[in-house]
Amino acid sequence: MTNATDVFTITIRRRPWWFWALAGVWLLLEVVIFQTAFASARESEYRAATICWIAAAVVAGGGVFGWLRRGQAGRPDKWSKQL
Amino acid sequence: MEGIRKQIGRRALLKASGFAAASGALGSLWALAAGGSANARKRARWIRIVDRPTLGETTADYKRFSGNDIFTIYRQLKDQRDGAGSFEAEQASKAKRLATWIKEKKPGYSLPDRQLSEGAFTVMHSAKPGVGLLAWTRTSVRAPEEMATPRYTASPEEMANTVKAAARLYGAGLVGIAPMNEAYVSLLVPHREQPRKDSSGKDTSQKTQHPMVQRQEGGHPSCEHGKDQPPAVQPPQDRDIVFEDTDVPSVTDTKFVIPRKMKWVVAIAIPMDLDLLSRAPTALGDTAAALGYSHSAFVVASLAVFIRGLGYEAIPCVNDTAQSIPFAVDAGIGELSRLNKLVTPEFGAGVRLCKVFTDMPMAYDKPVDFGLVEFCKTCKKCAEACPSRALSFDDEPSFKTRGPWNNPGHKAWFEDSYKCYQYWQKTGTGCGICLASCPYTKGDQAWIHEAVKATASIAPATDGVFRAMDDAFGYGKQRDLEQWWTKDRSGRRG
Repeated sequence: MTNATDVFTITIRRRPWWFWALAGVWLLLEVVIFQTAFASARESEYRAATICWIAAAVVAGGGVFGWLRRGQAGRPDKWSKQL
Repeated sequence: MEGIRKQIGRRALLKASGFAAASGALGSLWALAAGGSANARKRARWIRIVDRPTLGETTADYKRFSGNDIFTIYRQLKDQRDGAGSFEAEQASKAKRLATWIKEKKPGYSLPDRQLSEGAFTVMHSAKPGVGLLAWTRTSVRAPEEMATPRYTASPEEMANTVKAAARLYGAGLVGIAPMNEAYVSLLVPHREQPRKDSSGKDTSQKTQHPMVQRQEGGHPSCEHGKDQPPAVQPPQDRDIVFEDTDVPSVTDTKFVIPRKMKWVVAIAIPMDLDLLSRAPTALGDTAAALGYSHSAFVVASLAVFIRGLGYEAIPCVNDTAQSIPFAVDAGIGELSRLNKLVTPEFGAGVRLCKVFTDMPMAYDKPVDFGLVEFCKTCKKCAEACPSRALSFDDEPSFKTRGPWNNPGHKAWFEDSYKCYQYWQKTGTGCGICLASCPYTKGDQAWIHEAVKATASIAPATDGVFRAMDDAFGYGKQRDLEQWWTKDRSGRRG
């Protein structure tokens, strides 16, 4: 239960510019790996396709994990700037 | 000061990074995007147009080739090296082995596999130099003068584009125009009529022309044109190829005559079916070559009729009459590789070459450089993959030939065709492992391959990494032989 006198602090943090650049690179990498995986499977290059699927999963998982971890409530984030 | 730094730090950096990212993306797009339309197929910008080929420089020793290719001289060499009668013994052993494989339904050599290849060869079997599809004279087309029309004229560039567009429609993968070089033209057309026997030993050689070809020789069935044509020329028997100051090409009992006014060569590359080529060396793999040859015959025959219809002379050739590779190099279709064969930027080594000689004036294309020679120096994958060790492992190309099948006087990585052809006798079919294993022989669907080729063309230091990645990703390995017959064919060819 909270009291009417409790004080809450909402901190809005702006992600640094390089975060978005990194996100762009991550997205580009994902698109290229997925496209290669699909194309390799279509061209019956199954080993290449398997490697690409695994790589895509690892990169996707890494990205999602990083995003969620950085977005955790209450976690101090030394890289983000407080507005 | 602090404020200014803050302003610069944030805005300028954001702008700079945005600009850098945009430049990088545009640069990549520029590298990957299509370039000029000189080849009637837009080519990537990383394929540089150069004045001289990167490999293939010639000396004064470079002369017209005698036609001593391995198919012509293997029997003689085999008997010389392994004793009289060894060729016949080898052939008998091969026939027995093939018959057993068919009975055992060995994957890649079963009866359907074998007959698939025979079926794919059908058009090519009907295409002999100077006759039928590859006739040197006008047969089934009306010349413009017969229709009271002047022949087609335009600027050399337009003429070239017209011919390239037609060739692409008929099935060419790449087309280029090279100047005629008499040194590339063979001295003779060898007679290579091999007797073909069935399992009972009965001679089943194709003595008669294919019905389609007979109709063409007598003119198109739907019109009267061609009625007055001379009778079909008989298949050649080691006839000389000569250049003469005549207006029209001709074929006689003793020679093939190319008019000196034919100063243009339309060099054509026909892409092979990669899915079949990746099943070499089997009858299935052989089907890729068979189909490539038949497509070649169709394309050059159609293009020759088209050019004649525009009012010019045309001589269609597949592997016969002249060396296709130097013309293709001069026309900018690709570069000479460690295979001592052409590798194209688009289809790698998975192409069959053919050409049409003509007197139709067209703008010439120039050779190209896409970093292949440097890549070949590092890669050597084809030489390692070759089961007969016929390909060179030398770091640098040289002028040193390896047998009478090589034409001396030009720089190359020369191959041992004897070892190669001897391996063909073991497999009972053609091979093609070297073509399939080349890292440039890839499908065109994955974007990353284009980026890799673009990088290799400008940064040879990366060649070793790309070769290692090619191995790691499993490229160049033989595909499942039985799976070919059951695979889903509802989509694109792969």
